[in-house]
Amino acid sequence: MKRNMALLLSAALLGASLTACSSSNDSSNNNVKASSSPDSNSSASPALSGDDLAFSKFEKPVDVHIGMVVDPTDKTLPEGDSVSNNQYTRYLKEKYNINVIVDWTAATGNDFKQKVSLTIASGKLPDGMVVDDRSFMTKAASSGLLYDIGDLFDQYASKQVKDIMASTEGRALENASYKGKMVSLPNITVDTDGVHVMWIRKDWLDKLSLPVPKTVAELETTAKAFIDNKLGGDKTIGIAGPSKNTFPYSTFLVSSNNMAGFDPIFGAMDAYPGYWLDNGDGTVSYGTTSENTKKTLALLADWYKKGLIDPEVGTRDNTGDPINANQTGIFFGPWWNGGYGNGDSFKNDPTANWQAYPVYSDDGKWNTHMKTTGSTYTVISKNAKPDVVKAILIMNNALVRDEATFDLSVAVGWYPLRNVMAAANETEYEYTELMKVLKGEAEPEDYNVPNSLYKLMYADAKKVRDVVKPPFDELGVSNFSTANFGDFQRLYSLLIGDRPFATIPIDKKVYSVTYNQTPTMETKWANLKKMEDETVLKIILGQAQLDSFDKFVKDWKAQGGDEITAEVAELLKK
Amino acid sequence: MRKLGHQKHYYLMLLPGMVWLVMFSIVPMFGILMAFQNYNPGMGLLKSEWVGLENFKYMFQLNDSKTVITNTLIIAVGKIVLNLIVPLVFAILLNELRNLRYKKLVQTVVYLPHFLSWVIMSTIVIGIFGYYGVVNTIFGYFGVDPQLFMADAGIFRQLIVGTDVWKEFGYNAIIYLAALTGVNPSLYEAAAIDGANRWQLVRHVTLPALTTTVVLLGVLSLGNVLNAGFDQVYNLYNPLVYSTGDILDTWVYRLGLQNLQFSLATAAGLFKSVISFVLIYISYRLAYRYADYTIF
Repeated sequence: MKRNMALLLSAALLGASLTACSSSNDSSNNNVKASSSPDSNSSASPALSGDDLAFSKFEKPVDVHIGMVVDPTDKTLPEGDSVSNNQYTRYLKEKYNINVIVDWTAATGNDFKQKVSLTIASGKLPDGMVVDDRSFMTKAASSGLLYDIGDLFDQYASKQVKDIMASTEGRALENASYKGKMVSLPNITVDTDGVHVMWIRKDWLDKLSLPVPKTVAELETTAKAFIDNKLGGDKTIGIAGPSKNTFPYSTFLVSSNNMAGFDPIFGAMDAYPGYWLDNGDGTVSYGTTSENTKKTLALLADWYKKGLIDPEVGTRDNTGDPINANQTGIFFGPWWNGGYGNGDSFKNDPTANWQAYPVYSDDGKWNTHMKTTGSTYTVISKNAKPDVVKAILIMNNALVRDEATFDLSVAVGWYPLRNVMAAANETEYEYTELMKVLKGEAEPEDYNVPNSLYKLMYADAKKVRDVVKPPFDELGVSNFSTANFGDFQRLYSLLIGDRPFATIPIDKKVYSVTYNQTPTMETKWANLKKMEDETVLKIILGQAQLDSFDKFVKDWKAQGGDEITAEVAELLKK
Repeated sequence: MRKLGHQKHYYLMLLPGMVWLVMFSIVPMFGILMAFQNYNPGMGLLKSEWVGLENFKYMFQLNDSKTVITNTLIIAVGKIVLNLIVPLVFAILLNELRNLRYKKLVQTVVYLPHFLSWVIMSTIVIGIFGYYGVVNTIFGYFGVDPQLFMADAGIFRQLIVGTDVWKEFGYNAIIYLAALTGVNPSLYEAAAIDGANRWQLVRHVTLPALTTTVVLLGVLSLGNVLNAGFDQVYNLYNPLVYSTGDILDTWVYRLGLQNLQFSLATAAGLFKSVISFVLIYISYRLAYRYADYTIF
């Protein structure tokens, strides 16, 4: 199970980061120049400013102690190299005189979470670590363990980093702050990570001469047709669902990358469970307790009863299994779930033509909930020396600028304190520009812009013509070459997975009033969440009557829900 | 004083063990203080705010606490009882076997699962009881619709106890088998001469000889009466079976390590330890009174 968790997590990281799989060997001369400019040999003296300061080299070596997540399945580290001595740490030493000292490592997934949790409980943080849950950051911040990095960030962050932060219109800064102080470096991932679409086997539709389903009712008929015609063999699954570790829908705390949840179905029913909704009259409500959520659960229970949804929903180890085994006709997830997320499906069946579309409400609207800017945070210990904080900021600048120039045959996950920053609309921009390159309206060289906000654009533009073959009007799996599987996955996700979000306007975007925990949630949320998970799954699986939903709402309110709702309403006023 | 000098080397030999005990068992005991605080890692144990029994009060207000205590007791008692009886029956049966080679083979095979961790075993269990698992395939031959055993709160406890016994009975039988080799053969011979049949031999010679062992193992395992097996449950449960499968340890894990409610988790852990201690004490007295057996 742990291995599966690790796989899932690394898959999520892959997709979320955009960058992990893109091999790139363009060495931008400008970059090299910038970091070896005469100035950078002098120390981080006050005379420097702007990007000179952001990429300055320390006069004396600076030791940075870190806690680090490692992927136990990774095999890319060359013989003799280690977590604290590899091409990335040597690069930091050479260019910036930063010594990375790894205090501890833990495997991705629960192991790492446990270690972070215990580290915070002990009150002794390493200088820097990247935590993957906002509650870790806020717990450490509320305990006074974190460095207020605001001033140093203003001085030392590179222009590129600031541009990326600005592309979120202040949301990233807010996300990284606690009580008005910037206490962490946030990751910033693309908005489309939170937009869940329907992934469907177009080749199966074609076999049955069926149109692409648009509404929930059409989806039901299509799933039934897939099963009746046994297109995935005897165990054909109409619609895949969450595993025992994932959720039926994304929530305000985990607002993106929910592979095989039912988010688009809820959206089509105008329901936004797990989100704090602004009612428009100064009040807020919790989406799960709404009538529309109840109606959607009734629908899902009906589908489950009819056998349209994976019978093992909620108990599977890994949602990806039946998708990769090509037993599944439909699943829901963000742009990278097809391509990055289900690579084995294509390996097992090169004709698996997964296509992505929105699911519309009965009156033809595309509703979707939107994610927060990011959910991992580089936290810096209150006890770190200013030079160490500067070093960590420089490490982040360097990663953002130079990632496209690294030799990615060594996984970039080995970069110390790697926390991805990408412009919020990077995928949509790439989709549009890559289509231009394909259609001959632009040339790859047009994108050779140093220190661009869209740091992977040039590398992708150079590859796209090799991977994608004409005709370009309706891209499908047959247009793609899988010769370099990593390139295939990335471009498939970009050009097919992000097509809906890049080309179809969303009728209703729903943001949560908050993506963070309120004070009462810190003690009461675990209990309420458990109640919610249990009720929702039991109703879907038919183990509990739909009426139990009303009892859940009553209990939820009584056991702290009302109190928390009032706190969230306060946030709305601000 | 002279006497002490005489025994110096014994105390010296005791030292490493004592140091270990102090470092890993006594010092961490101060962490219990957290249960009576609103623990703030930045302030540490000494400066965090004291809240008295607030955490315990809150714990018992949660519906979960009753559920997890009930679940823990049922699962743990089930395991203790069956882990005493099943290996006992198995050891006696095995002892009656005449074919030595076959006996060794059986012993080895049933012994093996003990060495696999629950991380691996859970995959095997799901392979057997999953929707497309062995059991459902067999059910299919008889026209029974496949069942989602892993999501059925009604049978989750039985499944937990059953698979634990299945995993451990071979290993647990070893002590009985060892005790059986210690039975004086002349007792069997004498009984046989008196005309006892095989069943009577088991009933009147083997079983009495094993009483002390059974009581010893029983008493020792009573310390586990609130240990329902974290790694097993953690690897097999899912939200659908929380109502019958969530135990104290998994609850503490979720509270403390996933939700960062350090004080509440400590309170729950301390509660568990106190109850366990009382139970051990009672069972110890009982064993002394009824089986005339003392450990200490």
